[in-house]
Amino acid sequence: MTTRGVSHPVASDAVVVDRVSMTFNEGKSNEVRALCDLELVIRPADFVSLIGPSGCGKSTLLRLIASLISPTSGSLLVNGKSASQARVEQDYGMAFQQSGLFEWRTVQKNIELPLELKGWGKSKRHQRSTEMLELVQLSDFASNMPWELSGGMQQRVAIARSLAAHPPLLLMDEPFGALDEMTREHMQAELLRICAASETTVVFVTHSIPEAVYLSNRVVVMSPRPGRITEIIDVNLGSDRDEDTREEATFYGKITEVREALRGAEAADGPRGIEDR
Amino acid sequence: MTFKKIMGAIGPPLIFGAIFLGIWELIVVVFDIKPFLLPAPTAIWSEFLERSDDIIEATLVTGTNALIGLIFGVVFGVAMSFVLMRFQVANELVTPLAVALNAIPIIVLVPVFNNMFSSTTEVPRQLMVTLIVFFIVMVNVAKGLRQVSPVHMELLRSYAASPREVLVKARIPNAVPYLFTALTIAAPAAVITAFVAEYFGGRQNGLGYSITSNAAASRNAASWAYVIGACTLGLIFYLVAVGLEKVLSPSQHSTKQQSGGLAPGGASA
Repeated sequence: MTTRGVSHPVASDAVVVDRVSMTFNEGKSNEVRALCDLELVIRPADFVSLIGPSGCGKSTLLRLIASLISPTSGSLLVNGKSASQARVEQDYGMAFQQSGLFEWRTVQKNIELPLELKGWGKSKRHQRSTEMLELVQLSDFASNMPWELSGGMQQRVAIARSLAAHPPLLLMDEPFGALDEMTREHMQAELLRICAASETTVVFVTHSIPEAVYLSNRVVVMSPRPGRITEIIDVNLGSDRDEDTREEATFYGKITEVREALRGAEAADGPRGIEDR
Repeated sequence: MTFKKIMGAIGPPLIFGAIFLGIWELIVVVFDIKPFLLPAPTAIWSEFLERSDDIIEATLVTGTNALIGLIFGVVFGVAMSFVLMRFQVANELVTPLAVALNAIPIIVLVPVFNNMFSSTTEVPRQLMVTLIVFFIVMVNVAKGLRQVSPVHMELLRSYAASPREVLVKARIPNAVPYLFTALTIAAPAAVITAFVAEYFGGRQNGLGYSITSNAAASRNAASWAYVIGACTLGLIFYLVAVGLEKVLSPSQHSTKQQSGGLAPGGASA
């Protein structure tokens, strides 16, 4: 088992987090130490989940990788570039708990938005968005407006949008958090299928232990205040995961392992915000 | 089907209106109420038919004032809302003023405008309408330009979108429903302002003047006949505004549905 990050990052790594700390409102009375001295290396085509109690800074880490915020100290590399450079070059796609579709655009036009901002021509955009619609199996809804779709379908459109430019990295912040259990399991299987087909690296923030175990090659367990990585658990359920996997002993074994790691991580603080489902 | 639907929507209020007029007529006849107190609907209607040419002419005068003021108010209001969006200082200066103006009956400025401009022109009235519409449009559209959903802003930031791209892709489309909401408020307000402005003197040609002058001469039925014209004008302005909204900004109605109208489950494909 690997603990902490890999000590020898190479240029081809998808994400390198090097001694990153994040403090909000530094020097003021409401100062919050969100992350402390984080190290993490993510290889290409890896699927890594970040799990931990509320307030452990997992979303903050994701936003740092996305360069939506800048670290107080330390450095981040995405595809061998600085995180901000990677953002400018649109090296990653992002999906949130809310689908965040633009309600005045059709489903297809929503998927084309990142391509428009990259300056792609109309026919090239149309071709790619049509492919993406096929990938998430929503071709019949290309000209529908977002509100005409169910929550799960909207989330699939959001995933198609985040993958439209074929970014090498996908950053997801509890994308299935607002979905019901059945839809959620279906979406997890869809995501694995899509990522396997496109060889995308994924960093996935979640509250759910089974979700993290089912999806990931590695589960990063974090502790709160200030957020630290306490353990990295290798899962590797194999690439042929299906619905039966959820009933296997190894699956349950890994769930127990992650749960115990979480208990250890929050022993001082008491468990909060973790779903056992 | 659609005819049935339309009748289902407007039938009950029509029937209620007819019953109301019937009772009104009955009360006037049974209690022998004098016309200077309350004229009967039939008397008002016969005045309306007799003076229809005058009423249409007066309605056109007031309607033109309202329309011109509405157009200028919308143009200036939209322009100003972009300034407020762009410059925080302007927003902090103007928005409290606009809110304060809501509490002040600025219509009382008409006599001042009548003195500033020649009261033999329609300018003071049109200016008053412009002013009223301007603030309604400015406040609403500025809100639409500013209040882009945080998820949209975060997404656009992740795409490294420039401020201009954020404006075109998110702010302006987001503000469109706000503009149409402002229009449905501003259109009737424009009509009300246009004919109340006539109460404060100036040229003697519009609906407002005709209502007051006939009332002053105790021609109550005639006064009421002009009121019918005023009602019709207000209704036309409102319906056109609502119609424009339905045709040009369908997303607004759908945004409202978004919270409730989702199909169950997402696993179907």
